[in-house]
Amino acid sequence: MTIQEFQTVCSQLEQEYTAKIAAAADLNAVEELRVAALGRKGALTELLKNLKDFSIEDKKTAGPLGNALKAALTAALEDKTAALSAAALNEELNRVHLDLTLPGRPLARGKRHPLSIAQKRMTDILSSLGFTWAEGPWVEDERHNFDMLNIPLHHPARDAQDTFFAQTGSPLSMVLRTHTSNVQSRFMEKHQPPLRIMAPGRVFRNDSLDATHSPVFHQIEGLYVDENVSMADLKRDLSAFMKGLLGDKTEIRFRPSFFPFTEPSAEVDVKCVFCGGKGCNVCKGSGWIEMLGSGIVHPNVLKNCGINPEKYSGYAFGMGVERLAMMLVNINDIRTFYENDLRILKQF
Amino acid sequence: MKILYSWLKDFIDLDYTPEEMVAHFTKLGIEVASVEKKGADFEGVNVAQIVQIEDHPNSDHLHLVTLDLGGGKTQRVVCGAPNVAVGQKVPLARVGARLGKITLTPAKIRGVVSEGMICSSDELGLTNTRAHGILVLDEKLELGTDVRSLYGKADALFDLEITSNRPDLLSHLGVARELGVLLNKPVKFPAPKEIKGEGASLKIDVQDSQACRRYSGRLIRGVKNAPSTQLVQERLSAMGLNPKNALIDVTNYVMFELGQPMHAFDRNLIEGDTVVVRRAQKEEKFTLLDERELTLDENALLIGDAHKATALAGIMGGKNSGITDSTTDIFLESAYFDAPTINKTSKKYGVSSDSSQRFERGADIGMTLLALHRATELLAESCGGTPSEIADVYPQVFENPVVSFTPAQINSILGTEIADEKLKDIFNRLALKFDASGENWTFQAPTHRRDLNHRWDLAEEAARFAGFDQIPTGASHTYVSFADNPKGVDLMELVSERLCGLGFYECKNIDFLGEKELKAFGFDPKNAVKIKNAMAQGWDYLRPTLLPALLKNAEFNARHGQADVALFETTRTFSLTKGFPTETYTVAGVLCGQVPAGAFFAANGQKADFYLIKGMVQELLEGVKGVQLLPSEKAPVYMHPKLCMDVLISGKKAGVLGALHPLTTKAAGLKAVEVWAFEISLKPLEKLFSMHDFTPVKPAAALPPSLRDLSVVLDKATPYGQIKQVLEQTALAVALHFDLIDVYEGEHLPQGKKSVTFTLAFSAPDRTLKDKEIDEAFNTLVGALKEKLGAELR
Repeated sequence: MTIQEFQTVCSQLEQEYTAKIAAAADLNAVEELRVAALGRKGALTELLKNLKDFSIEDKKTAGPLGNALKAALTAALEDKTAALSAAALNEELNRVHLDLTLPGRPLARGKRHPLSIAQKRMTDILSSLGFTWAEGPWVEDERHNFDMLNIPLHHPARDAQDTFFAQTGSPLSMVLRTHTSNVQSRFMEKHQPPLRIMAPGRVFRNDSLDATHSPVFHQIEGLYVDENVSMADLKRDLSAFMKGLLGDKTEIRFRPSFFPFTEPSAEVDVKCVFCGGKGCNVCKGSGWIEMLGSGIVHPNVLKNCGINPEKYSGYAFGMGVERLAMMLVNINDIRTFYENDLRILKQF
Repeated sequence: MKILYSWLKDFIDLDYTPEEMVAHFTKLGIEVASVEKKGADFEGVNVAQIVQIEDHPNSDHLHLVTLDLGGGKTQRVVCGAPNVAVGQKVPLARVGARLGKITLTPAKIRGVVSEGMICSSDELGLTNTRAHGILVLDEKLELGTDVRSLYGKADALFDLEITSNRPDLLSHLGVARELGVLLNKPVKFPAPKEIKGEGASLKIDVQDSQACRRYSGRLIRGVKNAPSTQLVQERLSAMGLNPKNALIDVTNYVMFELGQPMHAFDRNLIEGDTVVVRRAQKEEKFTLLDERELTLDENALLIGDAHKATALAGIMGGKNSGITDSTTDIFLESAYFDAPTINKTSKKYGVSSDSSQRFERGADIGMTLLALHRATELLAESCGGTPSEIADVYPQVFENPVVSFTPAQINSILGTEIADEKLKDIFNRLALKFDASGENWTFQAPTHRRDLNHRWDLAEEAARFAGFDQIPTGASHTYVSFADNPKGVDLMELVSERLCGLGFYECKNIDFLGEKELKAFGFDPKNAVKIKNAMAQGWDYLRPTLLPALLKNAEFNARHGQADVALFETTRTFSLTKGFPTETYTVAGVLCGQVPAGAFFAANGQKADFYLIKGMVQELLEGVKGVQLLPSEKAPVYMHPKLCMDVLISGKKAGVLGALHPLTTKAAGLKAVEVWAFEISLKPLEKLFSMHDFTPVKPAAALPPSLRDLSVVLDKATPYGQIKQVLEQTALAVALHFDLIDVYEGEHLPQGKKSVTFTLAFSAPDRTLKDKEIDEAFNTLVGALKEKLGAELR
């Protein structure tokens, strides 16, 4: 075979197989073409056998030519194989018919109680404001629940808190704590200022269960005692607390009030989050919603706990968890929280 | 405390709308529960009749209405009300008329001048309905009638919530005094003629001068009881009292006016000529005006005569000495009783009155004589009579303490910079004596303000009268603290999050239960905390277990269409330890039905069973060192005797898990036969748990383990726990991890046998194991199982 003949056959093979590969209808046809062209007895393999008879000069021309053709045909076969496989897979995938609109499989996931969610939100904010979580007993002696907090025996303020009395073997008269403020007397008795604590938890009042009263409910208390703590510090921290709770634009106002354990005492209102202060049903037209009670810790309370009121001063505040939760999610019956109806619990 | 606006105006000039008054009260810290507007607050509005209605030339809804004013005069006005009709008699306000604070001027409405308006009920201030439409009056009214005469004088009744530290606000004079300070207006004290009187009063014998610090009184002889004047009757009615007769009404009137409770006795029912103030004798019987009969103890304070008690001091008079229509001579009492004494007695016997409510909060010891003179004056108007001299026993004149302070201290408490002059002004208005001449100021409160004893009290007054809005938002540095949460709190949070992840919903329940439930759950009532004044039967104890309430929650949900439930609660439980209350953080859960609930896939779901609740408890306690679950040797009464395990933490029993006893679930009203539950005390975990416990991570093995399956056949009765123990305790040269993959009983096995299959994973930290090493370890395990449990390789 001459080099010229070799070149001619190469060119013929290229044309012939390029066309055939392009026209192959399925993977079998591609395989047949591979065997026919590149198999042990394939047309190109046979052609390349002639190379060994060429002169060194001719080999330099024919060798690269033959290898290039082999590479080109191999690539064309691979491309065709890939294209046909993809088409076949696609066809198979398109045969899948599943009703995608059926519901997803239910997975077990429970939820926290709305009061836990509300309390956690409050403790998270207070924690970020540097309040440490403190606790006290729920079955408390009258001294820590009342006397130390400047609520003397035979005073109407003491009667106002319908108290449950517990029967125990303790020589002290025990009550179910009527507020979280017992944590104030408990904590200050053991710690000198500076101190900055929060005390969330359950409290008890001898109120019958109805839409707005429950014998068991939750409060959260804050207490900060240091040198020179003033009403302005209280306003700063409550403003931050309320902004954290209700949004950065929240405004608060102080109103004079009375609590035996604070002096001066202030009721704290937030500008109604529902109407922006214009007046609506939630704020009863006033534009403000009563949120919590607060004030400067009464000097008698500090004294009773062994803290010098001439050196230190402090503020305290307390708010109801149920009240806030009821307002925010429009629950108007406090019993909802204690029925544990899954149809309600699942909504949180 | 109800405050009638017109009565208040007797003592202070006030020219505010009721709404403005509410704002003043709010500023003072007095919450207003309600405002009831009364009567007409307008002038110059007369009855007129509509005679003609024409269309307004520039409007399709306004009309030009011509009215007959009577006396041959007519007037045309613009009116937009939808309900105008010819023939109606309506209230017409002409230019110059006053509606509340507005005086009417001519108005040009769409090009037509209107010299008056036909009023709606809201416009007249009679209602606040925001309803459209003019007020249509009775057609029989004469033209020109002053409409005001139909409604009476304008007034308002405020219902004020007075806090217990401010008894001085429980009267009209007291509220006027407070407003006087706020608004800087003079207060006109009542100035009755102080009649010296003729003849001696009854003698006063105060035997307990601690309980009765002052007793003033006088006789009035020759009175003729009669109905009170109309003003007194109207005002008492507004206070919510039924007027009775002048002798009784006057004592109440003075109390609401001046805050001093008074009592009138029929002189002729008092034996002897001495009024005795004394403690009751033990078991002394006394019948109140309202016919209730009391058996008293020595703490009760009584008013009496030579032989008998005539009143429960400061609280209520006795039946034996009350005023009647035929009373001719009275003895008027105006006294000061000690607050705790009255509070104790009132509470003990459940007797409360307007009088006791004032005394127990603290009356004004300086008010008794003024009240007596005022009552004398009012009685003279209605009943005549001759007053005697006044007897006044007041051995120790009361004075409030002198508070010494600096203005800087006041501002330091408030965080304010209120000027000295402003502070002086406020304290001057409040004080009996105030001296700001030195560096230290001194302040002494009048007798009606017993609540001003420290500079903190004065700081509050300064803030109230300067305005709480004076308090700035502080910008100063604050101390912050980031100490750990109490352990129990973190543990409750941890178990809550884990249980939610396992599909449990959190519940919150009231902490009370009854004796029956206590016993049903195996608790001795003697070891539970009992409530002395429980509000309902079945709520007598603080709960030592959370399960009864959770069962009720399951039952409630089953009744409301949710029979598949997974519920938990975590809170404190209560018991008595040697008589002392102990509070323990506890977590409990109940599980029944399909898990998770979901109808479409119910067939694929999982029915709750023993291994599910066990798996959940294992997950709940995952990572806690020293947890063991052991079959209960003796299950508690409320649990299934055979499907119950003890949860041990550090070797001590901390709880149980398993099936509830069918009788327990039946008693709870649950239809579900199988209810699974757990209850675990978190107390032992507190020692094992710390937020700062960062255990170093073990590196993950770089090389995959070599896996072998192991199937052994052994006695059916051999518990898995023992097999597990052998696998765990057999010493091997390589590391072993094993997973149980099957337990099989039945065909192809000899009678009484079961087959247990594991996947064993052998590994070494640093290399791939050789087959020989694996074979060796495998054979060691097989040998141990055979030796200890008689197991044969299958």
